[in-house]
Amino acid sequence: MPRQRLIASESDVSIEVNDDAINHEAEVDEKTEEEPKRKKVTKKRKNRKNQGTKKLQEEDDGDGMSSMKRTSRNVKNEKGTERKETKDEDEEQNEKKERKNRKLKNEKKKETKKVETTSEEESSEEEEEEKEEEGVDNDEGDEGILGSLSPEELEKLKEAVDEKKKLIITLRAKPWPMRKKLLTLRESQRFVEKYEGALGKGKGRKLYAYKVMMMKKWMKFQRDFENFKTACIPWEMKIKEIESHFGSSVASYFIFLRWMYGINMILFGLTFGLVMVPEALMGKPYGSLPRKTVPRVEQASAMDFAVLWDFGGYAKYSVLFYGYYNNQRAIGWLKFRMPLSYFLVGVGTVAYSYMVVIRTMARNANEQGGGDDTSFNFSWKIFTSWDYLIGNPETADNKFASITTSFKEAIVEEQESRKDDNIHLTRFLRVLANFLVMCCLAGSGYLIYFVVRRSQKFALEGLENYGWWERNEVNMVMSLLGMFCPMLFDVISTLENYHPRIALQWQLGRIFALFLGNLYTFIIALMDAINLKRAEEEVVKMNMTIWMASLYNGSLPENTTASMIAVDPADVPRGPCWETMVGQEFVRLIISDTMTTYIMLLTGDFLRAVLVRFLNHCWCWDLEYGFPSYSEFDVSGNVLGLIFNQGMIWMGAFYAPCLPALNVLRLHVSMYLQCWAVMCCNVPQERVFKASGSNNFYMAMLLVILFLSTLPAIYTIVTIPPSFDCGPFSGKNRMFDVIQETLETDFPAWFGKVFSYASNPGLVLPFILVMVLAIYYLQSTSKTYKQANIELKKKLQTQNEENKKKNKLAAQKAADDLKEAKNTASQLLSTQTNNNASDPGENSHSNIMTSSVKTLSRLNEDGRENNTQASMDATHIHAHHTLLEEHQTPTPLTHDPPLHGVIYPVTHDNQSQQRRGAHIFRDADFHVDAHPGMLTSVRQN
Amino acid sequence: MVSPAIALAFLPMILTLIIRYRYYFVLFYRAVLVRWVQDCLTGISREERAFQYILTHATPGNPDSILDTFDYWCSKVEFISNIGPKKGLILDRLLKETCPLTVLELGTHCGYSAVRIARSLPVGARLYSVEMDQRNAQVAEKIIRLAGFDDDTVELIVQPSDEVIPRLREDYGVERLDFVFMDHWKRCYLPDLQLLEGSGLLGEGSIILADNVIFPGAPNFLRHARRSGLYELRVHRATLEYIRGIRDGMAELVFLGLK
Repeated sequence: MPRQRLIASESDVSIEVNDDAINHEAEVDEKTEEEPKRKKVTKKRKNRKNQGTKKLQEEDDGDGMSSMKRTSRNVKNEKGTERKETKDEDEEQNEKKERKNRKLKNEKKKETKKVETTSEEESSEEEEEEKEEEGVDNDEGDEGILGSLSPEELEKLKEAVDEKKKLIITLRAKPWPMRKKLLTLRESQRFVEKYEGALGKGKGRKLYAYKVMMMKKWMKFQRDFENFKTACIPWEMKIKEIESHFGSSVASYFIFLRWMYGINMILFGLTFGLVMVPEALMGKPYGSLPRKTVPRVEQASAMDFAVLWDFGGYAKYSVLFYGYYNNQRAIGWLKFRMPLSYFLVGVGTVAYSYMVVIRTMARNANEQGGGDDTSFNFSWKIFTSWDYLIGNPETADNKFASITTSFKEAIVEEQESRKDDNIHLTRFLRVLANFLVMCCLAGSGYLIYFVVRRSQKFALEGLENYGWWERNEVNMVMSLLGMFCPMLFDVISTLENYHPRIALQWQLGRIFALFLGNLYTFIIALMDAINLKRAEEEVVKMNMTIWMASLYNGSLPENTTASMIAVDPADVPRGPCWETMVGQEFVRLIISDTMTTYIMLLTGDFLRAVLVRFLNHCWCWDLEYGFPSYSEFDVSGNVLGLIFNQGMIWMGAFYAPCLPALNVLRLHVSMYLQCWAVMCCNVPQERVFKASGSNNFYMAMLLVILFLSTLPAIYTIVTIPPSFDCGPFSGKNRMFDVIQETLETDFPAWFGKVFSYASNPGLVLPFILVMVLAIYYLQSTSKTYKQANIELKKKLQTQNEENKKKNKLAAQKAADDLKEAKNTASQLLSTQTNNNASDPGENSHSNIMTSSVKTLSRLNEDGRENNTQASMDATHIHAHHTLLEEHQTPTPLTHDPPLHGVIYPVTHDNQSQQRRGAHIFRDADFHVDAHPGMLTSVRQN
Repeated sequence: MVSPAIALAFLPMILTLIIRYRYYFVLFYRAVLVRWVQDCLTGISREERAFQYILTHATPGNPDSILDTFDYWCSKVEFISNIGPKKGLILDRLLKETCPLTVLELGTHCGYSAVRIARSLPVGARLYSVEMDQRNAQVAEKIIRLAGFDDDTVELIVQPSDEVIPRLREDYGVERLDFVFMDHWKRCYLPDLQLLEGSGLLGEGSIILADNVIFPGAPNFLRHARRSGLYELRVHRATLEYIRGIRDGMAELVFLGLK
């Protein structure tokens, strides 16, 4: 019972109370028999003191309980008597304790203390008589428990608690099996929990307990808060789940997606809040201007779904596109500078993207750290190849297999690096593969160019005459090529016989080239379209003046003052507005890209998975392991798709402010869709590789794409004059004229002057020069730091190696010494056997004694500089001890007091050293564990 | 009307599929198309053609020569799904290691594997070979006899395997099977294995070797072998017989005995 109580946690209190009540009942019976023994008794509980020592603890419990019950009934009048009684009890207890042996006493102490804590808890539970109870508790505690404890014992308890705490902290490093660790952890935690609160005295104790409780509460709160914080991160749980199933590389894609989503949210916020909403709220309403009205010809079909889906009709003449915006300088009662805002948002989104990408890259670069990781290839593989985030047995199997194969490959590589067979064939194959890939790239580029030209032809002839396929040809072809060419590259790359990691890099590079080529072909074709539109615009301008003239001539007979001829804005002839056309093209591209991705996801992954899963029962071969099987998640392709999608957003966002919004929508949907698709229809990759290294690679690609996509946008903004009758910059020579205009009209004159001075080449050039110099300086300093880092690393390595050598040498020496000692021992044994024949005992003992004394004295001389030295000492001692053991077991009857006299103090001195040395010895395969046993044997002797 | 440009955009995908699954196309061509054409041309079945070729090219009474001729015919002339020379080596090794006295073969087909097993059997051992198809069994009988194995060594049973296994003890007096080789319908692997378990013919240490567990594949069989706890499972990985590039494997099950 007492032991159980010791271990039982505080939550069991209520049950214990019941137990106690039962005990109480039982003991009532016993008490009646023992009544005559006691004189002072007025209450039942006193009697129980006389019971067996084992029951003492229970009685104490019972005491606590019954006292409490009594207090709950009518304490105050009985308090005095109670106190007396308790004192009596304590005296009795002390008497008894003196009689008991030490162990039991300790046990009881613990018990009483525990009683105290439990009663305390109950006191907190029973709110009504809290004070009285605590008063009783304190009385009892001070007198009954702590009073019974000597300060030494208190100290000991404190020490024990501290030791347990230390154990809890260092438990992780202990070389024990997990079960034992958990058990000890739980036990020691319980111990600490029990006795920590009881260490202080009186009020201090309570304060301490309070403190501990508050600390626990605080820690729990912190933990909850952390949980809350992770719950606040969007999709964190989903990503973690995927990570556990598919490893970190797949999860890295989703983290990248989330990051992209964040950036797009900010882009969306900028364009939506500063461009679209002000225009919609404060700008002129729809139908007030020709640019804000659907032309008469298109009005019939402007609300058709097919037209809207192509972003024509009402969608085209809305805030979604560039052409809708008016060139009015300030709109609404806020005097919102619409054109300026439009321009600055366009520049700001790009600038923000640059900043974010570069900042992330710099952070990642910091995490990577310098140094060469290739020098310890196998060690890295052994110790770092496991992905600890995997929580799925199948993935773990795959990971295991991939690690073993990587080992095999590494070994094979190592072997092949020495002999190179038929390098000409591999070279030829690699050249061939690259040639094929180039052919593919050229073919796809030409196909896109051809399609775009054809679509222009269609556009000139009027899109109405053609079907859906013709109208969406460009986007379809681009998406399809972007999807299938990487697969072809993948197949071709098997020719090259590269290492998978290098193959992956090649693959990424090729896909990158493909996407880039496609995008740029598209842009070049778009440029042609822009030029066509501009030629058209000139014609329209001419027609416009004629039309105006005819209008005025026809309907303006004599009244010159009115001049306000009500012409419906839908009827006014207008230019083609190339900016809107560009924006539309990009929006269509994004839409079709998204659609193809989703459709591929549904057919390629989901449908395939469904077929494989349900047809497998009635198919003539194994579908799951054989030909179609389940698809794997293609990390590189998906990441590249995401990057290029973002590039298109950056390129087109200036001409179609709705693009960031569309992209946010797309990313949001694809987050859920892809999460679902991955979990339900993909299998973990056969080669699970870690993603940590590739993050910055993706970022670098994103940066390149950002640069390449801003290039055409900036080119069009700077070189091509805006359309004359649509968009916020209509009527200006160039789009950036809006800055100058603002400077002239909205700022004081001196500001414009300062600006003109500042933009003087004489100032700008030196400034750029200084910047270049600064960059150069920073670069060189960072280089030197890197150098220093590498140097330090090398130093550490060499130091480590030296230490290793030293240790090895020491171990060697120790082993030699041990051998020597063993030799001497065998000699001694032989002499001993000789002696046994004649004179058993004494002589040999004296021999051993002298030898051990020798070693011990040597030991003392050696000093204790370092571990190895200590270990050597330990060997000596150990050697002699084993020797002693060997020697003494055959002759157990001979007692030799002087021997003990010699050995005892020295062993005590060197126990710690032996302990330290033991670690080394375990490695060196010596048997040290016999040592303590030997000590006891000596003691027994 | 789909424009030609879009159709052209599908070209990379088609190329990819063709290149990636070229071995399967080759297999399809050799196992299905060539067979069909030859059937039409000659008017006799594939197995009989193989027998004719062997009769004219191999040395009678010499199992090695017969197996070599068979391999040559299967790899160069037409295709028959035998165990093949590479996986056959694994079979030979297992037989030599265990020296089984009673061997059951499910799926004789043309008798290639029967000859192969009988060749490596110790003296006094007996092979029961089960074939469901009558015509195949005739060819197999001829080939086995041509190789010089009499009725005492190789006994051909022309019956479906699920009918044979429960009656092995009564009709053929088999007490214990030391070695079982499965190469019949992949779908029958699991039910036959369960029948064998139920019949009590398997003893501790009995080996069951199943061919083609990866391609065409017998996933249920493997799952059962892995989960039931009755067997120690090893999968020998190899390629499909006579065709490079298609991965296949043989499952070696060691019966641990009923507990």
